[in-house]
Amino acid sequence: MTSNNNTILRFGLFHRFGHFLIIISFFGLVLTGMPLVFKEYAWARFLYNLMGGYPTAGNIHRICALITFLAAFLHFAFLTFETLVRKNRNIFWGPESLLIQPKDILNVLGDVLWFFRLGKRPQFDRYIYWEKFEYLSLMWGTMVMGVTGFILWFPVQSASLIPAYVATFIDLPSIALVAHRYEALLAAGFIFSIHFLHTHLLPENIPVDEAMFTGRIDEGHMKHERGAYYERLKEEGQLEELKVQPASRKAKFVSKLMGLPLLAVGLLMVGFMLSSLICSIVFVIADLTKNINFDIFSIFAF
Amino acid sequence: MVSLLKTTIDVFGDIKVCRFAFISCLYSCLLFFTYSFSLENLCAQENSECLECHTDPAEVDVKVRIDHVTGEVEIVSMLVDADAYHASAHGGEDFYCIDCHADLEGSEGEHYPNLQPVDCITFCHDDPAETFLEGSHANLMRKKGVELPTCKHCHAGEKSKRDTPRVDNLYHRMDTIEKCGGCHAKYYHSYRNNLHGQVTAMGHVGTDIATCVDCHGQHTILNSSDPESTLGPENAKETCGKCHPGASDSFIKHVAHPQYKNLGYYKSAMVALLNIRKDPGQVKSIIKSPQIILTILFVMYVGILVITFAQFGTHMLLSWLGTLLDERKGKELEHDK
Repeated sequence: MTSNNNTILRFGLFHRFGHFLIIISFFGLVLTGMPLVFKEYAWARFLYNLMGGYPTAGNIHRICALITFLAAFLHFAFLTFETLVRKNRNIFWGPESLLIQPKDILNVLGDVLWFFRLGKRPQFDRYIYWEKFEYLSLMWGTMVMGVTGFILWFPVQSASLIPAYVATFIDLPSIALVAHRYEALLAAGFIFSIHFLHTHLLPENIPVDEAMFTGRIDEGHMKHERGAYYERLKEEGQLEELKVQPASRKAKFVSKLMGLPLLAVGLLMVGFMLSSLICSIVFVIADLTKNINFDIFSIFAF
Repeated sequence: MVSLLKTTIDVFGDIKVCRFAFISCLYSCLLFFTYSFSLENLCAQENSECLECHTDPAEVDVKVRIDHVTGEVEIVSMLVDADAYHASAHGGEDFYCIDCHADLEGSEGEHYPNLQPVDCITFCHDDPAETFLEGSHANLMRKKGVELPTCKHCHAGEKSKRDTPRVDNLYHRMDTIEKCGGCHAKYYHSYRNNLHGQVTAMGHVGTDIATCVDCHGQHTILNSSDPESTLGPENAKETCGKCHPGASDSFIKHVAHPQYKNLGYYKSAMVALLNIRKDPGQVKSIIKSPQIILTILFVMYVGILVITFAQFGTHMLLSWLGTLLDERKGKELEHDK
């Protein structure tokens, strides 16, 4: 590696592959599952039939679920390998960890001060606090969606797991449906709006943050985005180790080619979901106020 | 006279003449029978004769029809779509128009405009009609003073009420959900909230997805407390097992009509809470039902959704603003230097 190049490897091939699997399966799951939530709206019916209608869309959903399980399995295999074989403790505690650290709370407070122009933005380490939140909610979400999804996949078998007298109070398939639906809304809404806006559509990264696709980040960009990490690497002398050849123009083009349509589809989905939600809320309010006959002109009666 | 008889016997004594007479007799018989059959057909009024005018837009027009039960006024076309009719349940070879429109029997050419309403029950469908009219559904309607629907209310074709749909007709299955939901709005919405209703809302109404009649029965609609009901404790396993083989005792406890999106459910819960001192049984029955867990879960998730998006939305907007302001500041500093 030449010392004068200034590109740093942020994500290894393994993590990029995992992210790729998650992208594919997540889009498949959302496109086939979300229409069922917004069943009253024409776009949902169109999208569902576009994905193949009743049995096909469900099968795509299940295949994508299996891909998600594969990604989750790979992730946990990686964690086990790191802890047991490599004896790497950094993934659970310390600045390299994705779990919440005391410093993150300080970072959140610092960021709140920065929002109101009361101080400078804190220097972030390898993972910023909202990235940690995204990671943890992904873990939690995958677990909930996996368990409830399996209950919905095999309703008869899962219902017979609990005795009949308990089933009169706890109806597993119905609970699974409620949890699956609203966890899906949470996950899809979060990824397609907050994750996209926080990583890809930030003023610095617009339109696509290529770091997750090419794995490489510019040294200047990294110094600006994650100052503490950069300084730490420099002190520990790891910076030179992580330096790689900059991404080829082809890789950048491919990552844009893949990222932009996905971004567009995701934002379109959010637009549909949000507008449908607003419509539904308006309907509920109209339904609530249906019986209230308030004559606005009665104020002129005095 | 005797001589005439003699010549006759002589003539018939000849074999050739005898054969001729026999054959001519046979032919005349055949002719007579074919004539009489065609006469009968003429009496039976082949469908083609009706369709001759009723497929010609120049001959027949629209007509105002007043439903004699609901009093609903509708404008119906008297044109018959022959293909749609033949695809319908009554479109077979051995059905004639006058089988149902019995008051037109024997009439020829133009007929009077207002026919008697078709009687489905008396001669053909007395069995399903009886089970429907004596079921608890119809009894409850009578008790509440609601007008009973006619057969045609539910068994209406897609384009015209005449094209009585077959059992597995997809339009009929979709239409049934809407027809049941027209009166049972609360159950319609909760059905749509469950998985069966979600998939049928997507336009897939094949026999592999349950509509109202698949669970509640077609004509014998009984209260679930009735032991003969399809959803009663004895038959529910069989009913669910039609699609879910191996349905167990706990599976049939499924809440097919979750109420957590029904505002009336929350209202009744509030009323029960207000009356807790007078009537604690009301609250107990609400807590004991499996709906309560679903409702708590739903409310919890709505809370999580609102909090998450409000918090991260604000965070995102503020960080965007902050970044942009920082950039401008940096540019100004550079400019000053």
